[in-house]
Amino acid sequence: MGSVFKKLWRLGPAAFVLKAIVAALVADALLLGFIFARRAYRKSYFRKRDARVFELRQIWEALISGQIPHERWRKKPFDRRIVESIALDEFEGAGPEQSRRLLRFLRSSGLIEKLVHEARRLHGWRRMRALVALGRTRAPEGIPALTEALRDRHLEIRLAALRGLGRTASPQAGEEILSWVGETGLTVPALPLQAALIQCCAERPRLLLPLVQHAEGPLREVIGRVLGEVATPSLGLDLLQFVGDEREELRAAAARLAPQGDPKLAFEVLSELAEDSVWFVRLRAVVSLGKLADSKTIPTLLKGLTDSHRLVRLRAAEGLVGRNAEIAPIFQRVAETRDRYGLHAYLTALENANLRGKLEAELEAGANMTLKEKDWLQEVLRAGTFPAEEPVRMEPVPSTAGSQP
Amino acid sequence: MIRALDFSNHALFWYYLVSNLAYLGMLIIALRTSALHQRHLQSHQLGWLKQTPMTPPITIIVPAHNEEASIRVSIHNLLELDYPELEVIVVNDGSEDGTLEELREEFRLRLVRAVYVPEVKSAPVRGLYRSDAVPKLLVVDKEAGGNKADAINAGLNAATSPYVCVVDADSVLERDALLRIMVPVLADPKRVVAVGGIIRVLNGSEIEKGQLGRVRLPRKSIEVIQVIEYLRAFLIGREAWAQGNMLMIISGAFGLFRTDLVRAVGGYRSRSVGEDLDLVARLHRHLRENGTDYTIGFVPDPMCWTEVPSDLKSLGTQRARWQKGLLDVLWPNRDMLFRPRYGRIGWFALPYLWLFELFAPVVEVAGIATIGLALCLGVLSRGFCLQFLIFGYAFATVISIGSVLQEEITYKRYNDWRDVVRLVSYCFFEHFPYRQMHMVWRLQGVWQYLRGDHEWRAIKRKGLVSA
Repeated sequence: MGSVFKKLWRLGPAAFVLKAIVAALVADALLLGFIFARRAYRKSYFRKRDARVFELRQIWEALISGQIPHERWRKKPFDRRIVESIALDEFEGAGPEQSRRLLRFLRSSGLIEKLVHEARRLHGWRRMRALVALGRTRAPEGIPALTEALRDRHLEIRLAALRGLGRTASPQAGEEILSWVGETGLTVPALPLQAALIQCCAERPRLLLPLVQHAEGPLREVIGRVLGEVATPSLGLDLLQFVGDEREELRAAAARLAPQGDPKLAFEVLSELAEDSVWFVRLRAVVSLGKLADSKTIPTLLKGLTDSHRLVRLRAAEGLVGRNAEIAPIFQRVAETRDRYGLHAYLTALENANLRGKLEAELEAGANMTLKEKDWLQEVLRAGTFPAEEPVRMEPVPSTAGSQP
Repeated sequence: MIRALDFSNHALFWYYLVSNLAYLGMLIIALRTSALHQRHLQSHQLGWLKQTPMTPPITIIVPAHNEEASIRVSIHNLLELDYPELEVIVVNDGSEDGTLEELREEFRLRLVRAVYVPEVKSAPVRGLYRSDAVPKLLVVDKEAGGNKADAINAGLNAATSPYVCVVDADSVLERDALLRIMVPVLADPKRVVAVGGIIRVLNGSEIEKGQLGRVRLPRKSIEVIQVIEYLRAFLIGREAWAQGNMLMIISGAFGLFRTDLVRAVGGYRSRSVGEDLDLVARLHRHLRENGTDYTIGFVPDPMCWTEVPSDLKSLGTQRARWQKGLLDVLWPNRDMLFRPRYGRIGWFALPYLWLFELFAPVVEVAGIATIGLALCLGVLSRGFCLQFLIFGYAFATVISIGSVLQEEITYKRYNDWRDVVRLVSYCFFEHFPYRQMHMVWRLQGVWQYLRGDHEWRAIKRKGLVSA
């Protein structure tokens, strides 16, 4: 049998390879040509653009105040793009007064209408860009166009519209988002939706309540999380209805919000939620308990210190360390738990708060403890663990609030 | 004999054609994806990510073994990253130099008794340090574990965020790298479990106060060739594989993972040589076996700049280690091949790695031998052989120049004309004799592995100060 390559040679593969060589060399040349031509073009374009940006910057105040007629730059696409981009960038760092000025300028120059038009009529990435730009202006007249885009069949467009609406940070945009989400359900990933709603509902968190009450499934959780983030004390009682909710996100939201309401009620609610079966509900409850300046929370926080979840232990420890007026008695009670992980968490929080020295000094003073207890506690603190031998049996130390569990 | 040679030549022809066509396909996919990514980025305002309370915290884990030359610069760089919720854990992996002392001095460390629960295996921890100057910095001082995986595991045990990002101590991240790498996660946090970023060559560039300054091409040829290799591997290979959710490697120098999942698969495998590839393979296995709907993504713009070997010996050691790592992962996971439950990973990604990555040096050496023999025996036409070689050369340069084009039309970090001219010219020179040396190093790696030498050999570095 002759060589396959000989056969190929006879059939013409050599000609094929020859053509392939030529094609590859042409491709090399084209790629190189493209790279260098593009570089040259971009160099010249950016030089021209930089020069023009500089010129327009020099007359910027006159431009936005209308002293220079808009027609002078509007009809030149190159200039118009630069003006639009400078104006949009200025929005990012502008205060309320400057934002109003810029918006007036965008309206009088017709740039807003142009953006609205593009957000409605263009497709693909151009529409995405227009939607985001419209959001950056925070103009109320952009909201209908952004809302329309929420119903686009492409996810990226919906996300751009959502980001744009979020950027407006207006309750009206929030209402539109909630109405859309109530109608279509969760058709975008949760995080961008939550981020947009947090921005839009910060002023009027009550907007979220109807949807939280009536939505079902994951959407309810998502909105519940937003509610937890934006809720204000005025919503305190409304939120309490979620303490026993079947959705853990809502229970966590209630826990997050509880400290904002009546402290007594908050304590009761949080003590209940600190026993929840879901770790992040317990975590939220423990974090919130840490914020309550009430010694009654100490037993629950001590229990959190022995939690099966590491983050709950850490946050409980931070909450306990936050009560730095009672540092030695609390350490004594931490030691009484005989929980090594809990002790480590407490000592970590103590170190992080740079309060170890204070505890050492208090233990040295040894108020309200016997010498033996004092030695044992000092040894626990020094070693960072419990000594191997049988510990000293401690007499309960009266807590400052008298709140033994 | 003649029939055997004929068969071998035939097989080689098709092997080469398929491998190059696969790369051409990847180049086309990558060019399209990069263009789309650039356009999509226009609708993202990265600054907005910082403002939302929903942005999840990240723990950066930095394994450091004898990194005294780089550690200060590197950690300053990480601490200054633009991200709202950040924790940086440096793991001093039994360094014999002054790594820990450098850290102590620079960041005013104090020994703390922090929570350290060894959920995943690592060598014993000697102590944990917090910084008085920077609260978000934690230093884990541990006994040497003999490899990077062990050090990362110690960091993983101390991490408190839902996402961990592993970064090499000799690398520099661009300021917004974390915001960029989180874009896919924030868009779909339930599905996206890990994201890889791009690694670029730091040699030759300037570093100012822990941040990347002017980007320049390295001076030495061996370093420039690595620039092209990295561009090709990341901007073409990984970009394309990630499109099919078949990314098998997230570089150990910069990658983001969901903490709970890394812990669920037992962390990094301590005895692995290629710990990054190994982890991703185990994640794929774990998620597919559990029927999870997931994505392992790649984002080409969060850039991590790293120092690459600047001498042949170090480069050879590194490449041999990579090849060992590949074999170390592919062999234990051979049961995933062509099994329906592993889907496209078992049908495409792993077979590709076996065929075109692991066997490539063996096939190339065997190919050179058989073609030489066939030429001597007159079984193969010299004209055809020469033509085929020229075609192979021209085609390989198309792929290399294609990767430079990718860089040009997307990220364009080399702004100096001279750099681009040099970069492009090396696309023509890298094939002789670098490619042949590379082949030998890879074969050495396979041989070392087969001999039972699984040692993770460190390579010589200059350090970031001199980068």
